[in-house]
Amino acid sequence: MQITINDKTIEVQGQDTLLEIARHEGFEIPSLCWSKDAKHKSSCMLCAVKDMSRGQIIPSCTSKPVEGMQIDTQSEEVMQVRTMSLELLLSDHRADCEAPCSLVCPAKLDIERMLDYYDKGQKEKAVGLIKHAFDLPKLACEDCKAPCEKACRRGNIDAPVSIRKLIKELTDEMDAAVVDEVENVAIDKKLFQSRLGRFSDSEKIRLKETVSTPSNCLHCACTGRSDCQLRTHATAHKIKRPGYDMSSELQVMSKTKVNDIMYFEPSKCIRCGLCVYNSDNGFTFKDRGFGMEVILPEENKKNIRVELASLCPTGALYIVEN
Amino acid sequence: MSHCTCENNDKLSHDEVMAKMDTIIERVGTSRKVIIPLLQAIQDEFNYLPGEAIERIYEKTEIDRAQLISVSTFYSQFRHIPYGKHLIKVCAGTACHVKGANNVYDSFVRELKIKNDKITTDDELFSIEKVACLGCCTLAPVVQIDNKIYGHVAPGKVSEVISEFIETTEAGEEKAEKTKKYKISGEVRLGMGSCCQASGSSDIYKELLKKSNELGIKVDIKSVGCVGVCNQVPLIDVVLEDGSVKRYPNVNASEIKEILHHHFKSGSLIKRFKNSIINRLDTYHTDTTWDNVVWKSEAERTGLIDSFLSEQKHISTEGYGFLAPLDLDEYIHHQGFESLKKVITENKPHQVVMDVLTSGIRGRGGGGFPTGEKMKIVASSDKKDKYLICNGDEGDPGAFMDRMILESYPYRVIEGMVIEAFATGATKGIFYIRAEYPLAVQRIKRALELCLERNLIGKNILGGDFSFEISVFEGAGAFVCGEETALIASIEGDRGFPRQKPPFPAVEGLNGLPTLVNNVETLSQIPYIIRNGAEHYAETGTQNSKGTKVFALAGKIKNGGLIEVPMGISLNQIIEEIGGGVEGGEKLKAVQIGGPSGGCIPAHLCDVPVDFDSFNRMGAMMGSGGLVVLSESDCMVDVARYFLSFTCEESCGKCTFCRVGIRRMLDILDRICSGKAKMEEIDKLEELALNVKKSSLCGLGKTAPNPVLTTLKYFREEYEEHINGLCKTGKCKDMMQFVITKDCTGCTKCAKACPVDAIAYEPYEVHNIDQDACVKCGLCVDECEFNTIIKVPVKEEVYANNN
Repeated sequence: MQITINDKTIEVQGQDTLLEIARHEGFEIPSLCWSKDAKHKSSCMLCAVKDMSRGQIIPSCTSKPVEGMQIDTQSEEVMQVRTMSLELLLSDHRADCEAPCSLVCPAKLDIERMLDYYDKGQKEKAVGLIKHAFDLPKLACEDCKAPCEKACRRGNIDAPVSIRKLIKELTDEMDAAVVDEVENVAIDKKLFQSRLGRFSDSEKIRLKETVSTPSNCLHCACTGRSDCQLRTHATAHKIKRPGYDMSSELQVMSKTKVNDIMYFEPSKCIRCGLCVYNSDNGFTFKDRGFGMEVILPEENKKNIRVELASLCPTGALYIVEN
Repeated sequence: MSHCTCENNDKLSHDEVMAKMDTIIERVGTSRKVIIPLLQAIQDEFNYLPGEAIERIYEKTEIDRAQLISVSTFYSQFRHIPYGKHLIKVCAGTACHVKGANNVYDSFVRELKIKNDKITTDDELFSIEKVACLGCCTLAPVVQIDNKIYGHVAPGKVSEVISEFIETTEAGEEKAEKTKKYKISGEVRLGMGSCCQASGSSDIYKELLKKSNELGIKVDIKSVGCVGVCNQVPLIDVVLEDGSVKRYPNVNASEIKEILHHHFKSGSLIKRFKNSIINRLDTYHTDTTWDNVVWKSEAERTGLIDSFLSEQKHISTEGYGFLAPLDLDEYIHHQGFESLKKVITENKPHQVVMDVLTSGIRGRGGGGFPTGEKMKIVASSDKKDKYLICNGDEGDPGAFMDRMILESYPYRVIEGMVIEAFATGATKGIFYIRAEYPLAVQRIKRALELCLERNLIGKNILGGDFSFEISVFEGAGAFVCGEETALIASIEGDRGFPRQKPPFPAVEGLNGLPTLVNNVETLSQIPYIIRNGAEHYAETGTQNSKGTKVFALAGKIKNGGLIEVPMGISLNQIIEEIGGGVEGGEKLKAVQIGGPSGGCIPAHLCDVPVDFDSFNRMGAMMGSGGLVVLSESDCMVDVARYFLSFTCEESCGKCTFCRVGIRRMLDILDRICSGKAKMEEIDKLEELALNVKKSSLCGLGKTAPNPVLTTLKYFREEYEEHINGLCKTGKCKDMMQFVITKDCTGCTKCAKACPVDAIAYEPYEVHNIDQDACVKCGLCVDECEFNTIIKVPVKEEVYANNN
């Protein structure tokens, strides 16, 4: 049969969806809840296209071609729908991409990463990172007004992490000259930054009671940010801040250990269901509507394969490499 | 809803629970597809879903934990915690909402001292929940406690209702014990449990209990469904042993004894003797002196009914007022199943499809897709097995047409189904009925049994070659399941997630087979079309909307009820000529049509004819047929917010725009209704609404913004007033407060009435309301005899500018 995509006439055969056909023809369509060969149901609406003959916005990932169909994948209207779908998803995504401390450091030190080394007892690496960021590590934070400590989310709970004191302690304890430099990758400020917003009172209490690292750091930065498609698409769609306030009960920074190397963080989940549809008696949906959650019952943890993490389009399900 | 049969759940031993579970599983089955009926059966047995019972499911069936959690938390019917002994359902339907259901709910919570976030009292006697609609819209606000319905429940009447319930329940239990000993000699049906119940009904009910007990007459006192004439209540039907029915509209309590005595004899000889003596003294009672009952003139009794019925035309409700729902012979006697006989004898399935096409009938479920077209698609498939589903998952708050049709005209719907099945070659039929409609489920089940006995369904129907089986599936409480693909998903044992169409169910539906899904009302019109001819049917209605439409007329209307009108009649005609105008002489402001999918049509446009397309053009929608009349004292922003909070809760959660978009719209509306929003948020709301409408996956999301968009279109100035801190009607609680003027005489009545003691008890001094404590229930206003308590906007400058 014949269909047209953006005025290009295309001969189609087989069982491919509009998304696959269009991509094959070189038209770019973003998607989150679709993954080749994985079971999926349209959810995110990022792959929206317009069926011109019916005048309807449809998800290209599940729509099959129909003879004579005219599809538009790039008009302003379609773009607006996609951007809005991202904005809506982001308004229900309570997480930081990067830690606020790292974002504000004048020396561009990835503070959260440094604290991560510190908390894991890898002090040499921590110093190595400081060394890469500062010419004179010993004087690193000397004249700095420490915006990092003002930005520190821990400060909203009890007291901010004493970042400067810790750096001083580290550089005093260990001679920077003798450690190997660890490359400090400055944060790319052009990337979209998700922010988790304010902690509720109950969250403050919970985090105070449950997060106890040697440095006191909450480790706000997202572990799965490097391959987060939500962030990639948000950046590509030039979203600066989500246009809608959050009103969600999502438990921020609440992690479930799936197995030795896998973690699940519901507050980052966009409920696309890829992990639900592609695990057998594993992840499942709970409740419906805005309150719908993806959960993993304790008894089902054994049914989760490690490969599932790669399906997750966000940093909600991820693998920790040690 | 079923009720707990075993009050001592906690005393059941583990082994007993397991034994009960095994029996249930044995009966219902073990495949993944039976999960909903299985959970329903478990809840029937235990009153909720106990953990150990669930574990047994994993052991004994194909259902696993992931599926169980997914399904049991999707449908609102299922409970995961035990409930109290009695369940209070506060109706949150549209009509009840505009009449203050929220205040009623709050009053119950206060009165029963239910703690924050809890739904059950500490003594586990009562649990409370809000329900989408009890379908008694003309009696709003309505509350149901177990099987008892209370109409016109003002917040101040709550304590009365509770104590009355406790009293009558105890009396009822006593009675139940006694009746077991005697043969039941008939039944008295009282229009309750639906729109027929009015303020007087509960008194009549009590009187019936009391007098039948006193007289020793053993009759079943039944609360029955709707007869449509909701304004002629209390209305009772006396059903005698021989099945004949006597109807008494407009009865009052003092007549009950006479009526009972006239029709029934008491159970025991001694009582009979005693009664006859008493009655001789009371009134000498024979059939000829049967006038102690205050008979009103015929015109007085029926006059109102006549004007109520004048503009109506009965197709779906043919036989209205005299057909006994389950009397098959009577239905047949009134041309029932003639259409089926006709199509079977003529044996031209194709012609039936053509007839339905010619009739021009469009689906009554909301969308208005031509029924004949759907049938044509299914008929054209050469698959051996095809399904036909009767969609009775009516979920609109404020709509109860389908229930009334299923309850009152079960055979007509069955006949419509068999005709369509014959025409399309469907082999299996399913009635999908909300579990919240137990009477409809029960009647349909019984009607199907009776039809099977007469070979009207089943194998070789009426001696021909055609066979068609029908079963019943009870929906488990999800509005989205009115959408056909979601409905199919739920029958398949899944969450009610709609899927992308095409393929349409008519091509690929239940179990991958062609499936014709039709609404109850649509099916009920099919026999008429076949019997009277498509052309005749098409004479009624407008160019593109043929036939009649059933509406539930409620809200601020004098004579509300269930009506069936020809398409093309104007809304004004419905309101004025059938409904008798706006209640209390107020001015008409708007008509909300189509429930959460529809919109508000302003008064000046109410000359619009009832027609699928003209409603669509106005941004509203026929929907399933809820028609709520709104007066000048209703806040349009609040109405929009009300519907949106309904769809927000009922969204399945699958697609972004519906799940998050509606929530974000609701956030904005919440801010507007509490006076915290900025002017530009109105535009943001509109933009969001347009995108949710455009980009949601299924009908629910695509239509959910309609109430917002239509109110924005026709009542934008009201939104702007809210931003400025003014809700003229005082419906938006956060924006107004009650104050006592200096004319107060200090009579302390208000202080006594206040449920939260926000008014200090200071005799002979001007009272004062503590605004922090006040819950704005308005009880003090009702109590004050000097009209010195007034509602004023919270923002002072707004108050000053408007006074």
